[in-house]
Amino acid sequence: MTNMMHRDPPKFPCDIETELDRISSLPEHILEQILLQLSLRDAVRTCILSKKWRYRWAKIPHLVFDNNCLTLSTQDQGLIKNKLVNVVDHILLLHHGPIYKFKLSHRDLLGVPDIDRWILHLSRIPIKEFILEIWKGQRYKLPSCLFSYENLTHLELFNCLLKPPPFKGFRNLKSLDLQHITLAQDAFENLISGCPLLERLTLMNFDGFSHLNINAPNLQFFDIGGVFDDVSFENTFQLTLVSIGLYENVKNDPRTAHGGYWKLLSFFANLPRIRRLEVQSYFLQYLAVGNIPSKLPKPCIDLNYLSIRINFNDLEENAAALCLLRSAPNLQELEMLARPEEQNSAVTVTKFSEDDKWNCLFGQLQFIKIVGISGVKAELDFINFLLSNSPMLERMTIKPAPTNGGWEMVKQLLRFRRASVQAEIVYLDP
Amino acid sequence: MSEVDMAVIKPEMMKSYVWLQTTDGSIQQVEQEVAMFCPFICHEVLQKGMGSSKSYAICLPQRVNPAMLSLVLDYCRFHQVPGRSNKERKSFDEKFIRMDTKRLCELTSAADSLQLKPLVDLTSRALARIIEGKTPEEIREIFHLPDDLTEEEKLEPLKNTTDDPRIRLLNRLYAKKRKELREREKLKIVEAEEERVDDRSVDELLSFINGGNGDSKVLKTSKNKKKRRRRKDQQKNASHSEVAETDERESNGLHPMCHDTELDDEFRPSSSGASKLQDGEDDIFAPKVEFDDVDDEIDPALKEKIDREVEDFARRLNSVWPERMQELLSFGQERRPVHFAVNGNGTLRRCGSAEQK
Repeated sequence: MTNMMHRDPPKFPCDIETELDRISSLPEHILEQILLQLSLRDAVRTCILSKKWRYRWAKIPHLVFDNNCLTLSTQDQGLIKNKLVNVVDHILLLHHGPIYKFKLSHRDLLGVPDIDRWILHLSRIPIKEFILEIWKGQRYKLPSCLFSYENLTHLELFNCLLKPPPFKGFRNLKSLDLQHITLAQDAFENLISGCPLLERLTLMNFDGFSHLNINAPNLQFFDIGGVFDDVSFENTFQLTLVSIGLYENVKNDPRTAHGGYWKLLSFFANLPRIRRLEVQSYFLQYLAVGNIPSKLPKPCIDLNYLSIRINFNDLEENAAALCLLRSAPNLQELEMLARPEEQNSAVTVTKFSEDDKWNCLFGQLQFIKIVGISGVKAELDFINFLLSNSPMLERMTIKPAPTNGGWEMVKQLLRFRRASVQAEIVYLDP
Repeated sequence: MSEVDMAVIKPEMMKSYVWLQTTDGSIQQVEQEVAMFCPFICHEVLQKGMGSSKSYAICLPQRVNPAMLSLVLDYCRFHQVPGRSNKERKSFDEKFIRMDTKRLCELTSAADSLQLKPLVDLTSRALARIIEGKTPEEIREIFHLPDDLTEEEKLEPLKNTTDDPRIRLLNRLYAKKRKELREREKLKIVEAEEERVDDRSVDELLSFINGGNGDSKVLKTSKNKKKRRRRKDQQKNASHSEVAETDERESNGLHPMCHDTELDDEFRPSSSGASKLQDGEDDIFAPKVEFDDVDDEIDPALKEKIDREVEDFARRLNSVWPERMQELLSFGQERRPVHFAVNGNGTLRRCGSAEQK
């Protein structure tokens, strides 16, 4: 512990002082900060250190019941449950003072009714952050009193069932993270529009609603992955970071096959500030439904990072991806991930260079990463097109799919002309 | 920067220095860009126009002594340089906080009074790392905390669950034990042979409560062993399995903890999938070797019997009891068997009254 090799020893002999209890005389807010750095288990244990520490832990404003707070040496589910419940009951009973953050996330905890009691207890204090993760068993139905948490700024739920009573929303909520949850369509819409300050929204693996109508004037970050029918934005003029994954193939889905409906246009209509976009799983397929313009009417001026998962052999998806690229004049970084399962079906391929309307320059594009390709013509054409239209390119990294030995592909890549004299091509082993 | 250096510094260069005075009266000048990294100094300079000359030196708060000031300035000097990578900063910080806890506390205090939040965060995190996972005894020793709680007070957390039937049963056993102890003590007074009070049972009782809890360090195990051996020499009737039992228990206790940390990442909820909902059911814990009480040479004495009963209950208690409470309880007495023996009766009597409710 005593290691002062890089520093001079203190100039004043301090032997007389060595017995002083220095830590306890630190200011209250620092001691609190130290306690907050400890696991709840260690924090509570400080109560038998000395008189000064006796009730100090009971004032810590964050209660985090996670795997560190309790180690269980039994596999008996009943005992585990009793023990966990006992611990939380005790701590809540002994705690004294405001609680700003309450987190319950223990891998052995099922959605037991005791949680209702704690949620009710917490509803009587101005709690700001509430995190509940049920790692096992069925979805835990949240008691309605959760929806009366008026001061909440952060809400995170995992494996829960939400049935909000008529409520006016979380007026102070800034960050909402819902994963593996069930919520009805109208309740979902009310929830989102009832959080006017919402800045961050994460939705993963949800059911009960499938139309994502996002009306959130302060939303900046939107991360979603799941199965849904459509997504539309309203009043989302602050939204800068978007990541969307549609986990279902919608190619031949009758619900989405409306002719003349311009998904791509309506999607971007309310995203004027978008800076970073990730199009994951099958979402490009969704965007490609309907007519695809060669360019968006209003370019995404701020978009500097784009990641697309794409089937290179699909004409519509290629067209949608190109439309995005052409509408992002300030794009600096591009990532394209091939959807492996579909790469082998050879289809008609876009002729990039021969068709006039495809001609454009990616004036700011510096880094391109292509992952999972197998070397078919459609992919190579796309790469060729990118290389010959990116004068500022510094590096293109290619990591092919593991199945194909890529000597042929490398030979092809070597032949492509590059608009940038700086550009290097990095071929990574699959 | 001494005053001799000062003489040769040109006036236009003066501007980039500030004068700082610590409470011991010593004054020094420091590069402005470095010193201004502390919000306190920055405020003094910008709002109050202080620090521009020796006679207008900024008086630093009392908690900043010259040694701490030079540490704080080391920190500022490194971090005020723009363009350093996070990795560089992190490795500097790591080395920077390698100091004894006394200085770490002083530094925390100094940084706090200069409102230098990043350094306060760094040092308080370091202090937390020191406390983490240690026994109350160890923490007390490291930080020179006064051991000013009585054993009774340390036992108090136990009272909170007297409504649990198991606790009531345990308390009943305590009472028996206590009675038996008193009898034995009387006996001893009569005998007046041994100078040293026989604390074995109380000590043992408490270490039973400690049960399978994991924080005991290897060092302590050997200490315990010694203690127990010594006692064994004194008391012919001590059972042979004791020492081994204790060791086994203590090493057992370590397993679940180590195991746990590994598992944390594995089971973090993430966006990746639903599979984790089903996993994590069983096979999490390494099979815990229970210390079976295979003591065949049963001593007919009542003491032994109660010992075992208490132990048994302690074990069952362990499985439902908030572990920290027990840890709290057990750590207190490890190193003061004699002290405890003196207080022993009082403490136990108190538990008795709880039991009668």
